[in-house]
Amino acid sequence: MRGTWNKKDLLSIYDLSAEEINMILDTAAEFKKVSERKVKKVPALRGKTVVNFFVEPSTRTRVSFELAEQRLSADIINMAASSSSLKKGETLLDTIKNIEALQADIIVMRHSTPGAHDFISKHTNCAIVNAGDGAHSHPTQALLDIFTMREKKGAIEGLNVTIIGDILHSRVARSNIWGLLKLGANVTITGPATIVPKEFEECGVQVCYDLKEAIKDADVINLLRIQHERQNSGFFPSVGEYASVFGVNDEVVEKYIKKDALIMHPGPINRGVELDSSVADGDQSVILEQVTNGLAIRMAVLFLVSGGLNND
Amino acid sequence: MSSEKIILNRQELAEIVNKIADQILEEFYNNGNRFADVVFVGIQRRGVPFVTKLRQAILDKVNIELPLAKLDITMYRDDIHSHKNGLPVINETKIPFDVNDKIVILADDVLHSGRTIRAALDAITDYGRPKVIRLATVINRGGREFPICADYVGLVHQADPQNHIKVKWDSIDSKEEVIEVVFD
Repeated sequence: MRGTWNKKDLLSIYDLSAEEINMILDTAAEFKKVSERKVKKVPALRGKTVVNFFVEPSTRTRVSFELAEQRLSADIINMAASSSSLKKGETLLDTIKNIEALQADIIVMRHSTPGAHDFISKHTNCAIVNAGDGAHSHPTQALLDIFTMREKKGAIEGLNVTIIGDILHSRVARSNIWGLLKLGANVTITGPATIVPKEFEECGVQVCYDLKEAIKDADVINLLRIQHERQNSGFFPSVGEYASVFGVNDEVVEKYIKKDALIMHPGPINRGVELDSSVADGDQSVILEQVTNGLAIRMAVLFLVSGGLNND
Repeated sequence: MSSEKIILNRQELAEIVNKIADQILEEFYNNGNRFADVVFVGIQRRGVPFVTKLRQAILDKVNIELPLAKLDITMYRDDIHSHKNGLPVINETKIPFDVNDKIVILADDVLHSGRTIRAALDAITDYGRPKVIRLATVINRGGREFPICADYVGLVHQADPQNHIKVKWDSIDSKEEVIEVVFD
C-alpha cells in the first residue's frame, strides 16, 4: 500500500478516488487484526476527542463507531438529537460550532437531510465523518460491504454485484454503486420499478426487473431492508407480494444463484421479507462478517481523517 | 540543494549482516541460551529485509530457521497528527507466533531519535510479554532523543541532523547500500 491520505473529512464515497478507497480498505485490513488480538486497543487517537452526533436515531452504526473510537483510545461524547439543543431551536450550525468550541477533533454525524455534512464541513475545522445523510450517502456502510467482498472474492474489478430492494430511498445502495463502479465492478439493481428507477442506468449500472435474470451471474447479492415506513406508501402492493416476487428464499438460492455467491445485508434484517431465515443464516451469508468488518472500516476512517487534519 | 554519498556499499552491508548474525549466535546459541525461543521482528518497512537477511545468515550458519514477524508501528507513533504532507500509510503487521516468553530480536535499518523503537516496544508488548527484547540496527546515525540504544549495531555514523540516512535493499529499492543525503 502506498500513497498518502490528505482529506479532512469522509463525506461520501462519491468524493473518493479508487486509490483512496483502496487506501481505506488496506488500512482497515490492518485495524481488523487489532480486534483479533488479546489487547484490542491501540493509542492512535489518544488525546483526540470524538463527538458522535446522531440527529437521526441509530443503534448499530453508532455502537460500531463508538467501539471503533474506544479501540483507537479516543475520548468520546455521544449526543442524540432528542437530548440536544436542536430541540430548543438551536440551528445545526450553532450546535456544531458549540461542539467545536469544546475542542472536539472529529464529529461523526448522522442526519436526515442529504448534504448536511457537506454544509457543516465547510464551517468547521473538525473532521466530519458521515454516518448517513437521508437517502444520499452512507460511506462507511459501502466501504465495509466492499471490504467484505474484496476479502472473500480477492478483487472488486470484474465482480458482478446485484443489489436488490428499495434503491430509490437507499443511501446504502447509492454509496455501494459509487464505490463499486469506481473499483470496476459490474453492478445490477433489481426490485419493483417504483423503487428501482430506470434513471440509475445513467450512473453506469444495469437495471433489471426480473429477479432471476438479475442474480444468475451475480458473485455478490446485496439485499436492502424494506423499511416499515414504506409498507403503506404505495410503492408496492404489500410486503407479502414483495417477498413473493423479490424475496430471496431457499428455492431462489438452490435454483438461481451461483454456489459461491455471497449473500449480504446491511441489517437490520426483516426475516421473511427480503430474505428467509435459512438464507440469512446459511452458508453463503456473510452478514455477520459485515458487522465485524464495519468496526475495522470505522477504525481506519477515523484514523485517516484524524491524521489528515494537519491542525496541530 | 543536496548531494549523496555512499556510507556502505553492497559488500560492506552484507558483512554487517554477517557480523550481527554472529553476535546473536554468540549470545544465544553458543552459550546454549534458549536459542529455541529466539524470534525475529522486523519494523516496517526497511527493517523487514534486514531481519530476513539476518535470519537467512543464521540458517546458513547453524541450519536453524528462526520465526519471523513484520511489525508496523504507525498506530503507535507519537507524531501521527503532525504529518504536514498527509498520513503515512500502514504496512502489514504479521506476527505468526505467540510473543509471550520469547527472546525477541527487534530490527530496524536506522537508529535515530529512538521514537520508532519506543513505538515498537509498545506495539510488541500489546501482543504479549516477551522474556527479552534486543535491538539490532544497521546504522546508528546519532541524534538520540529517547534513552534507547541498540544491542547489535552495524555501524556508528554521526550524521548532521538535517541529513538523511537511507538503507537500500534489493527487495524494495533494487539496490543494496547505505547512503547519506547531504543537505547544504
